[in-house]
Amino acid sequence: MNKLRIRTVLAVGIISAFVVLVALAFASDQPVPADSQQYLARALGETGASNRVAGIYLNYRLLDTLLELLVFSVAVLGVRHYLQQSEGMSLPALSESEVLQTAVSFLSPLALLLCAFFAIFGHISPGGGFAAGVIAASGLLYVAIAHGMKATETRLNPWRLALAEKAILLLLLAFVLVPAAFGKIPLSDLLPKGTPGQLLSGGSILIYNILIAMKVFIGAWLVIAAFAQHRGEL
Amino acid sequence: MAAIVAFILFGLGILVLVLRRDLVIKLLALGLVNAASILFLVSIGDRPGARAPIQGPGEMGILADPLPQALVLSAIVVNFAILALALVFVMILVERYHSTDSTRIEQEMAREIDEEETPCL
Repeated sequence: MNKLRIRTVLAVGIISAFVVLVALAFASDQPVPADSQQYLARALGETGASNRVAGIYLNYRLLDTLLELLVFSVAVLGVRHYLQQSEGMSLPALSESEVLQTAVSFLSPLALLLCAFFAIFGHISPGGGFAAGVIAASGLLYVAIAHGMKATETRLNPWRLALAEKAILLLLLAFVLVPAAFGKIPLSDLLPKGTPGQLLSGGSILIYNILIAMKVFIGAWLVIAAFAQHRGEL
Repeated sequence: MAAIVAFILFGLGILVLVLRRDLVIKLLALGLVNAASILFLVSIGDRPGARAPIQGPGEMGILADPLPQALVLSAIVVNFAILALALVFVMILVERYHSTDSTRIEQEMAREIDEEETPCL
């Protein structure tokens, strides 16, 4: 399958999934708390997540979060598209000191570890997928500053990453549409809520956080890479 | 207090956005306006003696309102998207007109349009 066909399949899949999701979400009459005090009172029992904010944006208001991810994807697409079209510069890479390179070899694994922690424990402690993704992208930026953009890009192919970003969005949409196949309202949570405070609690929030972290990591990195390529080097 | 600071920052951002002609400064001001909005939203969710809204079953204490915090998350992501795209458009304009001055860019664009509309003799 050529590149254009893969892109077309992904684009059609994402748009179709969104259309079906919005149509089914509006057709449903799932009760949502009328004011914010009810969120505090009911969220723990209904979502199973100790982190009330995660409970709101990944359970009650999941549709908002999905559309927010779509906005993010469109921004990444736009930045890459317009920067590829413009002329760009070819500034030489600045050679970095050995001190920076050594520091980065300590800091970047720590950033990735922090990303994993925020994504996995986002429903029971401060954190979440968005913060985790940005932290991981910052960790990769350290590597790119210390070792150069070209060296980093030989390991991470931007085209494949862009494809993976869209595929994760499609996977997320497919995941939230699964309940419709069982005759339930889309976006409803099929997984058990578990004991609040435990790692395996909060239903699907853990899965959403991990997928969102991956998506934001790749998306933020693609934006950074597009700006760096346009300049020539970091 | 945080709400007052948010209003001051918001006003400052709007003033810079309107008065300064440099496009990059305008983008920074837009970022400031967004940060002020986020600060305001988070501040309205606060209550005296409230903790962050993370609490397991059986734990007692007053919690901050989680709803504005959940909305702020969307605001941050949308702000990132807008700033990244706007920065790309500014870069394209700078490459074409070799200036970040919005008035000068507008004059150059108007001149180009006039030249296109004037028939060659």
